[in-house]
Amino acid sequence: MDLHLTPDQQLLVNTAREFLRRQCPPSAMAESVASDRGFSAELWKEISVLGWPGLLVPAEYGGSGGGMLDVALLLEEMGRACFPSPYTQSAVVAATLIANSGSAAQRERHLPALARGDRIGVLALTEESASIDRESITLVGEPGGRITGRKLFVNDAHVADELIVATRGASGLNLVLLDARRPGITVLPMEAMAGDRPCEVSFADVELREEDLLGAPGRGWEALRPALEAGALARAAEMVGCAQQILEIAVEHAKGRKQFGRPLGSFQAIQHACADLLRDVETARGLVHRAATWIDAGRDAAAEVAMAKAYAGRAAQTVARKAHQLLGAISFCEEHSLHLYHKRIVAAALDFGDPSHHLETVATAMGLA
Amino acid sequence: MDFEFSPDEQAFAEEVRGFLRAHPPAGFAVDGMDAGYGSGAHSRAFLRALAERGWLTMTWPRAFGGQERSLMHTLVLFEELAAVGAPFGPLAGCQQTAEGIIRYGSETLRRKVLPRIGRGEATFWQGFSEPESGSDLLSLKTEAARRGDEYVVRGHKIWSSHAGIADYGLVLARTDASARRHQGLSMFVVDNATPGLDIRPIRSLTGEVYHYEVFLDEVRVPAGYLLGKEGEGFTQLLRGLDTDRFWGRFYKAPMLRRVLRELVEYANVTERGGAPLARDPGVRRRLATLATDVEAVRLLFYRIAWMIREGLPTPYETALVKVMADETGQAVAALGMEMLGLYGPLTGESRWAKLGGSIQHLYQTSLGQTIAGGTSEILRSTVATRGLGLPAEARA
Repeated sequence: MDLHLTPDQQLLVNTAREFLRRQCPPSAMAESVASDRGFSAELWKEISVLGWPGLLVPAEYGGSGGGMLDVALLLEEMGRACFPSPYTQSAVVAATLIANSGSAAQRERHLPALARGDRIGVLALTEESASIDRESITLVGEPGGRITGRKLFVNDAHVADELIVATRGASGLNLVLLDARRPGITVLPMEAMAGDRPCEVSFADVELREEDLLGAPGRGWEALRPALEAGALARAAEMVGCAQQILEIAVEHAKGRKQFGRPLGSFQAIQHACADLLRDVETARGLVHRAATWIDAGRDAAAEVAMAKAYAGRAAQTVARKAHQLLGAISFCEEHSLHLYHKRIVAAALDFGDPSHHLETVATAMGLA
Repeated sequence: MDFEFSPDEQAFAEEVRGFLRAHPPAGFAVDGMDAGYGSGAHSRAFLRALAERGWLTMTWPRAFGGQERSLMHTLVLFEELAAVGAPFGPLAGCQQTAEGIIRYGSETLRRKVLPRIGRGEATFWQGFSEPESGSDLLSLKTEAARRGDEYVVRGHKIWSSHAGIADYGLVLARTDASARRHQGLSMFVVDNATPGLDIRPIRSLTGEVYHYEVFLDEVRVPAGYLLGKEGEGFTQLLRGLDTDRFWGRFYKAPMLRRVLRELVEYANVTERGGAPLARDPGVRRRLATLATDVEAVRLLFYRIAWMIREGLPTPYETALVKVMADETGQAVAALGMEMLGLYGPLTGESRWAKLGGSIQHLYQTSLGQTIAGGTSEILRSTVATRGLGLPAEARA
């Protein structure tokens, strides 16, 4: 047992925290979230210079060949700053799918561009059932044919350059990798309460070429599984970061604000609520880190990821709700950043499987018939 | 980062499992009931068997007859014992007292008491709480006055687990009445055979006896049985409570995993309303939620163990993990009762009992655990003040 971070990981954490503290203070974050794009293109360029989008991309394709623990540590820092970006979609999920399943030509063509942050890749999976189960993928599409239909809840599709679309073919699930500007594809925002930017992606008789196929035909689900685990764990790590920041905001408030002539934090009711926030954050972080180490060690981490995502989703939302209570009326204002953290958590808890979805994975892994 | 035990530690786990297969825990005589913490029943026979393997002394310094193995070995031992429900009830107390004697003990204690711990011949009770000093422990009134080579102790202790079946008490007493609350306290090792000790059982709500109250009437304790120096009692208490919260609760996670496994099995073979209980989405989700909570507790314990091994301070961590471990235990017991339905309250004596009546026992004993060793309220305040730096609440 050794829970130290490596010097490289410590450097990554320190660099990320300092960079985001400087470049993405709450005011800038709020402005980015409110913008049409939903994030800052300038900051995306800057983090690309730092090499973050290439963290998971193998070195031969211009990335740094890092692992899921590196990603989790970085996402936690992004969560602390509530940093908005298509990072998880592009640098974690799309990069994993292309690195694992892409042909040599697809890897050559796409991975360096993703790693440089020049192009943004997005997975289009979910449909009207709002579920990420294998059976829920019904959009019919076969390479060499055409697709008509739609995907929903596709985060960051409004800025996507590449779309990875899960379709149902004769031999099972297929993944196809398309240029997002291919004729017949339309992207519309779904207008959520602004935690993420979910989009509706419509396909009107869109051509699917043989070379669009990502991985073997009919083997799409097998390719998706590790990418969905990576996405789920990345969002869990982000929620841990959000919750950590919320905890710090709440504690600072409890120390500084006085009522009845005493700091709020000297009242037991407030102390005990704060203690529970700390518990929720620390336990969620432990589950996330453990799942990440299992993935990096090549172990089957399905149940560990499910635990981390279900727990972090539930815990972080509890932290956010309690923090509103601890901060009182000011936290109900748009100008206070708590609601932005809270909304990010709400969105992240649902993305790549909501708590119920992951608890079902855990239940099965426990041996429940 | 790596949450796994080393190959050496894993080999030790296998050694413990081998021992447990060769010596099934059910075969050992029990002299005190299972208090539901996860350490099983109080069994001297089992303790001696562990001692024979050298497992009670394995982390001690060589100078004291130990093998200087890392504390991860103790973690492994506790985890394996809890996983099968072995009766190692007195072990954490032995561990904690041995640590205190090695660190602070006089020559007398090191010569007379420590070897007995190593042989599995000495078990301990804690004399901290008093009838009027529960959460406000520092208001305690038990006094010890030096007279020649002895201390004369007078007072009244309560909620001392296993006091009536143990060999020694660790008694916290005031040696300087004029000192401030947390000063002037000292810790004594008191032999149960000392005249003047009156140890009376308190029957618990399960009908069994775990706790005792202890009247100390002019109890003469040799000066060599003072642990450390006069006035160090508070420091030792804090250290003791910290260790107690860790070692006294570490095995809760493996124990709860075992209970959850039993509940999964029960759900798989039980029909409710014409369908297997295991297919009930509510049951599935709640079992999975609790399994996740138990895992979160386990990983937090691992982190703390690692911090202790690395010599890092743990100012609030054991308080935090104890609260969560005990509350999770209550939740598991409550869900188990609900799943068993009308069978839930049946005791092991009923021929109709499910899971040997173990769930109602766990349910009942779990009620005491958020109280013992620091109430969850006191510990949440500890987390808030020592972990988050919130100002201490004004006290009278």
